[in-house]
Amino acid sequence: MDEKTKAFLEVRGLKKSFGSGDTRQDVLRGLDFTVGKGEFCVLLGPSGSGKSTLLNILGGIDTADEGEILIDGDKLEDMNEKSLTRYRRKHLGYVFQMYNLIPNLNVKENIETGAYLSDNPLDIDDLLKTLGLFDHRYKLPNQLSGGQQQRVSIGRAIVKNPDILLCDEPTGALDYTTSKEILQLIEEVNQKYHNTVIMVTHNEAIRQMADHVIKLRDGVIRHDDRITDKKSAAELEW
Amino acid sequence: MENGKRPKNPLRKRVWRDLLRDWRRNLMIFLMLVVTIGFVSGMYVANHSMMTALDENASKFSREDGHFELSAQADDDLLAAIASGEKADMPAVFRARAYEEAEPEVEKAVREAAEEQVREQVRAAITEQVAQAVDAQLAKAGKALPAEQRQAMLDEALSAAMKENYDKAVQDALTETWKSDAYKDALAEAMQKAKDEIDDKINSEYDELAERYELDETFDAVPVDLYALFYKNAEERLPADSDYQGKIRIYGPRTAVDLYDILSGRAPENDREILIDRMHADNAGIQIGDRLMASGTEFEVVGLVSFTDYITLYESNTDTMFDALTFNVGMVTEEGFARLNRALHYNYAFRYQDPPADLYEEKTYSDHFLKALITQAAVAEKETEIKDYVPAYANHAITFAADDLGSDMAMGGVLLYILTAVLAFISAVTISSSLEKESSVIGTLRASGYTKGELVRYYMSMPLLTVLLAAIVGNVLGYTVFKEVVVGMYYNSYSLPTYTTLWTPEAFIRTTVIPLVLMLIINLVVILRTLRLSPLRFLRHDLKRTRRAKAVRLPRWRFFRRFRLRVFLQNLPNYLMLFVGISFVMLMLSMMVGMPSTLSYYQERMPDMMFAKEQVILSDYRDADGEIIRTETADAEPFSIYSLEYETGQMQEDISVYGLQPESRYIDIGSDPDAIWISQAFADKYHLHEGDSVKLSEKYENTDYTWEISGVYPYDASLAVFMQNDRLNTLFQRKDGAFSGYLTDTGITDIDETDIVSRITSDDMVKVAKQLDHSLGSYMEYFQYVCVIIAAIILYLLTKIIIEKNELPIAMAKILGYEDGEIARLYLIPTGIVVVLTSLISMFIGFEAMKVFWSVMLMKLGGYFAFIVKPEDFVKEFVLVLSAYLLITVFDWFRIKRIPKVLALKNAE
Repeated sequence: MDEKTKAFLEVRGLKKSFGSGDTRQDVLRGLDFTVGKGEFCVLLGPSGSGKSTLLNILGGIDTADEGEILIDGDKLEDMNEKSLTRYRRKHLGYVFQMYNLIPNLNVKENIETGAYLSDNPLDIDDLLKTLGLFDHRYKLPNQLSGGQQQRVSIGRAIVKNPDILLCDEPTGALDYTTSKEILQLIEEVNQKYHNTVIMVTHNEAIRQMADHVIKLRDGVIRHDDRITDKKSAAELEW
Repeated sequence: MENGKRPKNPLRKRVWRDLLRDWRRNLMIFLMLVVTIGFVSGMYVANHSMMTALDENASKFSREDGHFELSAQADDDLLAAIASGEKADMPAVFRARAYEEAEPEVEKAVREAAEEQVREQVRAAITEQVAQAVDAQLAKAGKALPAEQRQAMLDEALSAAMKENYDKAVQDALTETWKSDAYKDALAEAMQKAKDEIDDKINSEYDELAERYELDETFDAVPVDLYALFYKNAEERLPADSDYQGKIRIYGPRTAVDLYDILSGRAPENDREILIDRMHADNAGIQIGDRLMASGTEFEVVGLVSFTDYITLYESNTDTMFDALTFNVGMVTEEGFARLNRALHYNYAFRYQDPPADLYEEKTYSDHFLKALITQAAVAEKETEIKDYVPAYANHAITFAADDLGSDMAMGGVLLYILTAVLAFISAVTISSSLEKESSVIGTLRASGYTKGELVRYYMSMPLLTVLLAAIVGNVLGYTVFKEVVVGMYYNSYSLPTYTTLWTPEAFIRTTVIPLVLMLIINLVVILRTLRLSPLRFLRHDLKRTRRAKAVRLPRWRFFRRFRLRVFLQNLPNYLMLFVGISFVMLMLSMMVGMPSTLSYYQERMPDMMFAKEQVILSDYRDADGEIIRTETADAEPFSIYSLEYETGQMQEDISVYGLQPESRYIDIGSDPDAIWISQAFADKYHLHEGDSVKLSEKYENTDYTWEISGVYPYDASLAVFMQNDRLNTLFQRKDGAFSGYLTDTGITDIDETDIVSRITSDDMVKVAKQLDHSLGSYMEYFQYVCVIIAAIILYLLTKIIIEKNELPIAMAKILGYEDGEIARLYLIPTGIVVVLTSLISMFIGFEAMKVFWSVMLMKLGGYFAFIVKPEDFVKEFVLVLSAYLLITVFDWFRIKRIPKVLALKNAE
């Protein structure tokens, strides 16, 4: 059986709401889906559809009201805060729309902040080359362009070789060309290191490069499709 | 796939970069800590070294365990008896003496009575025999004579018989009587009666004395070694300074006890040389080689020393304050001592043969030895009175410096902790602001799996490192530069010996460990409170613990005013810190400005405060011929002065009891014969009011007086009780009409100087203020500027946080078209208002706190004068803090000006 079709991540009956009484707002209204190991999964949907909330719950930085999440057989809701931190430390990598780099650490050191969390990190110089940042490794974040900064943030997330890479609108603040470069990089990382990638985006075009597309609207899954004829990131146009 | 090595925590590298990135702020905190830690460390080191030197000096220089003064020189028997430390059996000795004295008198009386009786009996027998013979003769002759003739015949015959037989008969009868048992019995009975009377009298007198001094207590003898340490008091004059008038106490050579540490020069070698106290020499400007006149006798100063029994120059142990300005102690050779034509004080120092183990034992020894001394002096052959008894532990001249050094250390420690706490809060506020600023980075790190512990350790490292570095540098400076400063301060007040710098673990703990712990706790609490929040809240920049549903509604003010109010509300925690910081500075300023001001106020006002310009104290109110000493001075008014003690928990305070004429022109307490008034200073110091009762005690007796206070007299110069002179005389069993001297404003010139003991003028009354001013005054001004620097640093640190927090809105305001001046007004005026209000409020708090501190300080010193801050001092305090603020505002103005517009357009990194 292909690893990508075997459920690595399982989500069952996931619900989440904010507020209470009249101001209560159901953000996730019972989601069920699975993601296979090494799969490139894209969560699509308009603003307010609940995709970022879902990503945060998957990342263990937010909690669901109902339902369960199993990652490689481990139940997320059984974990206390300490175990959740350990889970994030060992299994997750995060990439945000804002790069959130540490301003007074250079490129290499920013990536080292990720490497420090792993007992078996990737070779940093090797990774810097993959990221196209080797020549910039001693620069500080404010000496880099937005795209380069996002590369650093991807490097920081990927260097600990996480099982799952969670990306929250990683191209949201970038121009077309840079966005494509970043998507190519994530694709390359996915192929090279076989991490499961779950990417939140509202850019419909990105669905074409995914193995798996889950489309959300108003907190429910409208489509859950496996893509067989996916394109490479370089081929995307929008 | 290639794997690499796990790198070291990169956040560690960041700590050093953070330190450098924010170097101005860190440098300020660092410098402030270095100076404070350095100073306090210096204080501890100097204290510890000096205290050790003082302790060691006790044995090195054979310091006395106490001394006493007798009214006359003790003979060898008395000295041996005192040295034995044994209590004399006073009743037995007195009884034996009284019996011995009474025996011949009783015998004489009994003998005279018996003789008289025998003579009477012989006369009667002869008379009867003669009468019988005359009557028999007349009967034989058969004559009946008229009674007159018979009587004439009888008288003639009696006279002849008496002449012939009386003396012999008396002699014979007496010989018989002396031999008789009856006479012996009568003699024994009379002797017994006399002895009984003696016993009753001695017992009742001894009982009274025994009760007063608890002489009946039995105790082991306290044997001591005695040393004659006679001295003479003289007037000190300096040929080099004609205005100077002081006193000098001169001792003969000291060879066995109470030795001295020569700080410069040498010991005297001939009768014209003297060595004197170093502290006094510094104050009076006396140098080696200078000449000094002691009541007209000239000496050359050849050495400056610290006498081990005069570390602090107290002239008398009952003095309110030491006086290193006008009181000196010196030592000369035997010949030099003989040259000095002044009365000898028979002072004896003693040392216990078996040294006491601790202070408690020392006190017990002293109590027992005093009893032995009292009884031995009482039974001495030659009448001997104890004029003074001072055990070393109660001798201010020996203990005051060490006590003061101890309290300085405590105060220095408290200041350090308060300042460290203020800095720790500033650092915590800074970190809190960094956490807000780096919120998304923290969120990302937490989301990536960094634990709270790792981030806490990272954010804690910078403040702890700052304290640690400051502690290292501060301690190094403490042991070198600041120790010298502190030692200099101590040498300026006390006659301290030479010392060796000693390492003290206490200095390290107090100046390093405790500030570190303080910094750790305060920062940890703030950091933990923030880092407890979920990573998501950091990612969303949502760090407020309480979320307000709505913004605070503001009054309908103009836009700018409302904007400023928003700035104020947003920075409330910072302004709270500003309040704490400025209050701290103001408290210190209250002390630094108020103390010298209070002291000079009293020195200036003392002549006006005194109820009479001069109090002339006479040795007796009658002269050698028994005539009452009078003066022609028109404004002179007789008065009495008596000294009692007011017992407090901490000490015995000397209270002057004044006896006044009814409706006195100097202190008018009316003419009520029973009125008891107290001085304002007494009332203020011990919180006494009209109607309260006050209990005073006799100094060396077991007698207490409790009076109801009839009124408080507005007199601030000393602690005193006022009553009518007649009442004073009755109370203290003085003769009717007795008085101690005269009060006068114009001065008295027509009383023989030999009858005058002393003249008390305002100079004597300002002794405390003068000495305090000399010891502390010069440093106070220096510390005023230190306060301004501390204020400036605190303001710099806090306003920096406020502006940094608002960099984005400031940049945005610039883009919107606001001018720098307008923006500065928006952000600087709220701080200005807070500084002004805080200064005013904390000035009041500082003043009130200082009043409390001042009264606590004077409780230990004795005497009283209220803490006074003049209006101009308040202005000075305010101006000092405001000038610090204005200086910082200039910095802030440039800081706002430098914020680039582009900041608002950039991403958050």
